[in-house]
Order: sequence, then C-alpha cells, then structure tokens
Amino acid sequence: MHQALLGRPALNRRRFVQGLSTAAALAAIGARAEAGRASVAPGRMPELGGTEFDLVIDALPVNYAGKRRMATAVNGSVPGPLLRMREGDTVTLRVMNRLQEMTSIHWHGLEVPADMDGVPGISFGGIAPGETFTYRFTLRQTGTYWYHAHTLAEQTGLFGAMIVEPRVPEPASVDRDYVVMLSDWTDEPPLQVYLNLKKMSGYYNFGQPTVGDFFRDVGQLGLSSAIAKRRMWNAARMNPTDYSDVSGTTYTYLMNGTAPAGNWTAIARAGERVRLRFIGAGTATIFDVRIPGLKLTVISTDGQPVEPVEVDEFRIAPGETYDVLVTMPEDRAYTIFAQSMDRTGYARGTLAPAAGMSAQVPRPDRRVWLDPVDMMGAMASMSGDMSDMAPPARHARTEYGPTTDMRVDYPRTNLDDPGAGLRDNGRRVLAYADLRRPGGAPDPRVPAREIELHLTGNMERFIWSIDGVKLNDSRPIHFRKDERLRIIFVNDTMMAHPMHLHGMWSDLEDPGGGFLVRKHTVLVQPAQRVSFAVNADAPGRWAFHCHLLYHMAAGMFREVVVA
Amino acid sequence: MSTLFPRRHTLRTSGAALLLGMAPLGAIPAHAQHQHEPAPQESPSPSPADPSSPGAPPMEGMDRGAHPAAAGPSPDQSMAGMDMSGQSGGATMRMGAMQGGRAPADARDPNAHADGYENSTLPGFERADQISVGKVLIDELEFVRSQGQNGIAWSAQITQGGDSDKLWIRSQGVKLAHEPVDSDTSVEAFWWHATGPFWGRMLGVRQDVGPGAHSWLAAGIEGLAPYWFDIELTGYLGDDGRVAARAKASFDLRLTNRLILTPQAEVNAYSTSNVERSLGSGFTSAELGVRLRYEVARKVAPYIGYVWEPSFGSTADLRRARGERVSEGRFVAGLRLWW
Repeated sequence: MHQALLGRPALNRRRFVQGLSTAAALAAIGARAEAGRASVAPGRMPELGGTEFDLVIDALPVNYAGKRRMATAVNGSVPGPLLRMREGDTVTLRVMNRLQEMTSIHWHGLEVPADMDGVPGISFGGIAPGETFTYRFTLRQTGTYWYHAHTLAEQTGLFGAMIVEPRVPEPASVDRDYVVMLSDWTDEPPLQVYLNLKKMSGYYNFGQPTVGDFFRDVGQLGLSSAIAKRRMWNAARMNPTDYSDVSGTTYTYLMNGTAPAGNWTAIARAGERVRLRFIGAGTATIFDVRIPGLKLTVISTDGQPVEPVEVDEFRIAPGETYDVLVTMPEDRAYTIFAQSMDRTGYARGTLAPAAGMSAQVPRPDRRVWLDPVDMMGAMASMSGDMSDMAPPARHARTEYGPTTDMRVDYPRTNLDDPGAGLRDNGRRVLAYADLRRPGGAPDPRVPAREIELHLTGNMERFIWSIDGVKLNDSRPIHFRKDERLRIIFVNDTMMAHPMHLHGMWSDLEDPGGGFLVRKHTVLVQPAQRVSFAVNADAPGRWAFHCHLLYHMAAGMFREVVVA
Repeated sequence: MSTLFPRRHTLRTSGAALLLGMAPLGAIPAHAQHQHEPAPQESPSPSPADPSSPGAPPMEGMDRGAHPAAAGPSPDQSMAGMDMSGQSGGATMRMGAMQGGRAPADARDPNAHADGYENSTLPGFERADQISVGKVLIDELEFVRSQGQNGIAWSAQITQGGDSDKLWIRSQGVKLAHEPVDSDTSVEAFWWHATGPFWGRMLGVRQDVGPGAHSWLAAGIEGLAPYWFDIELTGYLGDDGRVAARAKASFDLRLTNRLILTPQAEVNAYSTSNVERSLGSGFTSAELGVRLRYEVARKVAPYIGYVWEPSFGSTADLRRARGERVSEGRFVAGLRLWW
C-alpha cells in the first residue's frame, strides 16, 4: 500500500543545517567529499558539472522553523546540488539511496528514454535502500530544468536545479546568472500532512470567512449584498478562500533552501544584467513573484525561449520554471519577493551589490475571495455575445459520483487572466497569453485528434481525480506513436492545477487553437479550459499528473502509454 | 478546502422521523433521500451590486429552469438548469446542474482512450489514493452540571476506510451522578458507503447501554447539506419489534477562524414505549445545544456550552408520573479532540 508515499528518512547523525543560513554556508558545511567536483560560489547552491555525476540521497538534520527535523538531501545539501550539463552530451548519473525506504529522482522537463524518467511504478521500480541506480541519457535541449523525488520525499527537500547549456556557447548576454528555487518546508512528515487533509480538507486554512467578515460586508455593501455574496458559495458548499491545501500555518517558504530571515542574496552591481532562473519547487505552493522597483523581462519558461515580455510580477506553479532578466539600476538592495498564492507567507531574498544588505520586504497582499469566474467559468462573465464561446464541456459519466463535487459546463478560456488574487492589482502581471515562442510552432502539423480530460475533485473529502477517476481506478491514456494530438483540459474544480506531462512537450494553444508556447507544466486555472498539442514521439509509459504533490497522491494522475 | 462561511454547520435536525420502515420515505427531506444535493432555494447568482466581483458582471437572465436534455437535472440538483439568455446576442445556452445529477446517456467514457492498455505493474506504483484513513473524533467529552447534579456526556466516532467505504463506529451518552444513563446512550457500528460527493449511507447495528437496553438494526444517511449543515438521519428496528428514528443537525459558525459556535439539534422518536428507559411513543425527546469552542490547534478545542433537553407527549407524561423532570438544562464544559 502507498509505498511510494510512505517514507521517513532515517533519523541519524550528520550535519545540522540551520534554515537561517544561506545556501552557500549550507553547502560549505554540507558538501560531501564523494560528491564529485563541488564548487561553491557566494549565493549559489553547490554545483556539479560534466558528464558523470554521483548523487547520494540521505537523511539530513535541518532546522527551518525552530525545530530539528530530518530532510532528504542530495550530497548533503538541501536543495540538492545544481547540475550543469551541456546540450548533446550523454550524461551518466549514479544515484545511491542511503535512506531506509525506496526513493527516486525524476528529471523534470528533460526528454529522456521512458526507463530513465524516474517515476516509481511506471519508469522503473524505484531505487531500493542501499542500491544505486544509474541514469543515462543524451541531452537534446537547453535551458533551466530541475530534478526531484517522485515520492513524498519531494516535500522533505529532495530536489535541485539543472541547467543545460547550449553546445555552442551563447555570447555572454548577462553579467550574473542565478538559480532561484522556491519551495515549501514543513516540520510535519508529509504523510501526516496528507492524512490531515484527508481527515479535514480545510485543516491548514485559517483564512476562511467569518462572522466578522460578514458584518464588515454588511457595513460596506448592505445586508442583501453581503448575503448575496455568500449565497453561491454556501449553497454549493464551496470555499471562496480555497487557494492552497497547505498554508503558512505549517509551511516555511524557502528561496534556494533559505528561510526568509536567512535572506538568500544574489550579488549584482549597478548597470549589470542579471538572469534569474526561477524554479517552482513547491510541493503544494503556487508563488507570485516580484522584485519591487525592478521590471522583470521574461525570456523563457520551462526551459524554452519566449519572446521577451516585460512585467512587474508573475505566478509560478510547482513544476514550472521562468527565466527572467533584470538590470540593476543602482547600487542598492532589491527584495526578491515570492508570496504564496494564499497570502499566508512568502519566500524572500535580496538582489544587492554586497552580502548583508536588504531592502524593505512587502507585506503579503490582502487575501481576497475567489471570483465567481473561478467557480462558474464563462457563465459568470458573460457579456451577452456568445459567438466566441468555447464549446461546452463534455463531462465523463464518472463525474457524477462521489469523487466530483462540481462540474463546469461552460469553462472560461481567458488565458490573458493572470489568475485569482492577481486580477486588477495595479501591477503588470504575466499571463499565459503573453508567452510566445520565437519562430512559432515547432511542428506545423494540425493535431489529428482531441482528447478531453477534466480535472475533478471533492474538496470536502480531499479526493482528486481526472474525469472523476482516481489513478488506481483508472486505465491509461494511449497516444499513438508519432501522432500529433490535442489535449483539452477542463478544470471542474475551484483550485488551480499545474498539469505535468512527462516525456513530451505540451505545446500550449490559445483559445482558437493557435500555438503560443512550449511547456512541460501547464497551470490550469479554476473553471478554465486550456488546450495543448503533443507530439507523441517518446515511446513507453509516462506519468501525467497534477504537480501539487498531495493532489497527485490523492489520485489526480494518469498513466500515458505511447505505442 | 472546504468549509465556508458559517463553517461546517452542524445542525443535527430534521423531522426525525422515519427512515426504516417507520414512515414514508417522502417524509425525509429531499436532499437526504437522494445521494445528491438539494437545490438552493434561491438563484445562486451574486448580487449585481456585489463589488467584490469586479470581473464578474451580473448574471442577468439567469433563471432556474427545466433542462430539456435527456440528462436534465432533477429537483435535487444544485444550481440546476441555469438558463442563460444573452442580452444582446440573443443566443441562449443552458447549463446543467453543477453538482449532483445523473450522467447523460451521451456522457464521455473515461476509458475511451485506453485502447486495451492497463496501468503499469512495476513495484512502487503510487497507491496513496487507496489509502485507508483512520480518524477518531471525540466531538464532545464534557462535564455536565444539571439541576444540582454533576455528570459526564460524550459524543464520539471512529472511522476507518477509504474514500468509498468505511467502518464507522459512534457512541453518545449522558450519565448524571444519581440517575441512570440517558435514554439515548448507545454504541453503534456501521458500514458507511459514499453515495454522492457530500452524502453517504450507513447500515449497521446499535446497542443501547443501561437499563432497558435493546439491540437494533440501523440504517441511515449522513452528509453535508447546502449551506454547510451536517446532517445525520438514522432509522432503527429493535429486537423487540419497535421502530425508532434519530435525527441530528449541526452547523459551525466561525466567529473567528478559531472561535467556533456550534448550534446543534437532535430529535428522537419511538414507535412504542419502553418504560424501563422512561421512553414513551412518538416523539420522545429533543436535545438542543450550543457549544462555543476555541481551536487551540485544529485537533484540540476546549469548549463551553448549554444543552436543553425537553421531552414530549407520552414520554413527558411518563416522566411526570414518575416524578422525573420533563425537561432539563445542562451546562457543559469539555474538550473536542480528534486525531
């Protein structure tokens, strides 16, 4: 039973890592001799390069929130070392498991053979305690990627960054280059978090509407409006503050493994161009990122280049990556601020000409309710003209049972919506509609067929599924080898789901079917319809799931067979 | 997730009546009878004046109406059949129920693209969605002060199982220092089966505790009604041929996210009397309580409250004749715990 889920690092010896320390200090204490060529630069995670990598997974005592807890480390560091590779190289990664339970590493976003993909039960049998598994694959792409455990050990820190450099080095376009990994840490064992959610889905949500809120609304809006505002949600037994399953009540949000008080710092001086490679490594946290005082030029997502677009803020979900360019206007500190989508906390670091500097840290935005469009889809925002409406959703027959608490018949298709909590906040916020791949579609073929999949859930009972069917009650989705097909997601829930297809790209489309951008993880907003095309060019069996770890565990997961 | 404004209410109520054979099923509230949900009485559209929804123009022209399709919503569906008529475009579209209902005949087959493939059988396959979850909820464990007597009272349940089926054990009771246990003191064991996203049905047995105890077959439903009412309706068939019913409803009103006021109501009915237990026939007693708890942690919440328990009809006559109180009030102070 749930062997992939169960797992507690062995409680033993070794270093004791303070969350307040910087990643650099952490690495200095933590790097293991046998880990290969560890190089530590100020403000960076330990880094390994070349074509041969030895990675050792072991338990490591840490202290992020005032208590000593066991994390899962790679080569003695949390996050694991940055792996720097080169396009075209064939790399060998020997991963040794020193834990007392099965583990795995998945190379998120890399095109690898199916048996090298690192998903226990689908790619391989996992890495048993004491064993070493050797991954070997050739790098066919460039950009920012990451690796992580495909078990609950992802929550305990088993993840790290990967950069694949182009074979022919690019002319130096930036002066500084940093990885910014955003993650969430809890002192509770991940299985405990999952069980808490199964027993009480609102366990970590202490921002639910109260009687006080009601009277405040009565004062501001009048009695009938205050009642009307609540009627839809309460009639449907839905929670308008249901942004995140797990909140800052248990999470400490980390930037490169450093708690906010530790102030992870990237060094840059006035006039310098800095590339920040943001990686969404949260297990249950979607982050909204900005650097007050600086414009962010987004140049790539999920490792793939996009036409530069200048924004103030962007939302990054677990699994996604965004490369951002900033230019330092003057020699002073700027706060890199990544608030959790539910506004219960933030990860924070600093961009400054010297270590030890800091700028003002904003307060998290006020938590607002989800909008009616997040429950009703297009039905909530109708302007009268329905000629450009998407076709109605086609529900599966399995969406009418206990697993599915809500269905959206007319989903919205507005990819220009930055999402709940970011609407009309006075800042220029990135939306999927802003993303354009230079040169257009990588494959001119029109998808020959469509597969519609609905993201479904029962929030009250914490059941998550696709088409109302949990993974272990489901059968695989068959892609015919070398076909180009279209996946249509309809989100029948009020939560956003970052959907990750392993092994193949998701070519995100606009509502009219036009190509936008190539991604490996697509955030589908509540009550939204999103489509993408897939080239089924990777034979074998693959995972296809929500990258919110506890949604994946609860069943929002399908196996895909390419044959 | 879950839980909203007045948070998980727990009004345990309703016309007690009558599940198991006692009365026509029609006496049960519509939502209880179906595995699906009752329709809200009002259109769920937000007020046009609602400034909290800037992105959402008023859903004018939205009326509840019959759905013409084969899978049209029945009256027990939530947000049923909103008839959306565009103001300018003149187009009309219809929307089925957002919750509950039955799958239309042409609903998609979720396995339509399996093409004969089955999931992998390698070791380590993720099975967390099949996990059996055990939960102990001591909803009430309280000291009681009633008409000069001290006592204790409890209401607890233990559940163990997956998303579809669970073993469900529950017990409730009151014991005052100089009196036998309260007539509703019992232990019950059920097989619980999910019948819808918010409802489940229960089949099992009940064993009374104390003088005049009987054993019962039991069947019922439990779930979360619209507007966050927790409902339990149970019917009983006794080993002496009596039929009985118990209905409970409760509701959690969040004064703050930790200070929660829970009104609850319970009503009991029996087909014939049991003098040993001071029970008459018909509606015997009710229990109307209100408890105010503070969640020190989610799983630990001390509370105080007051419970009023009136008895009715022949039960009241019986108690009056014996010199017992017809109704009693109890001040309570206790601890709510779960793990």
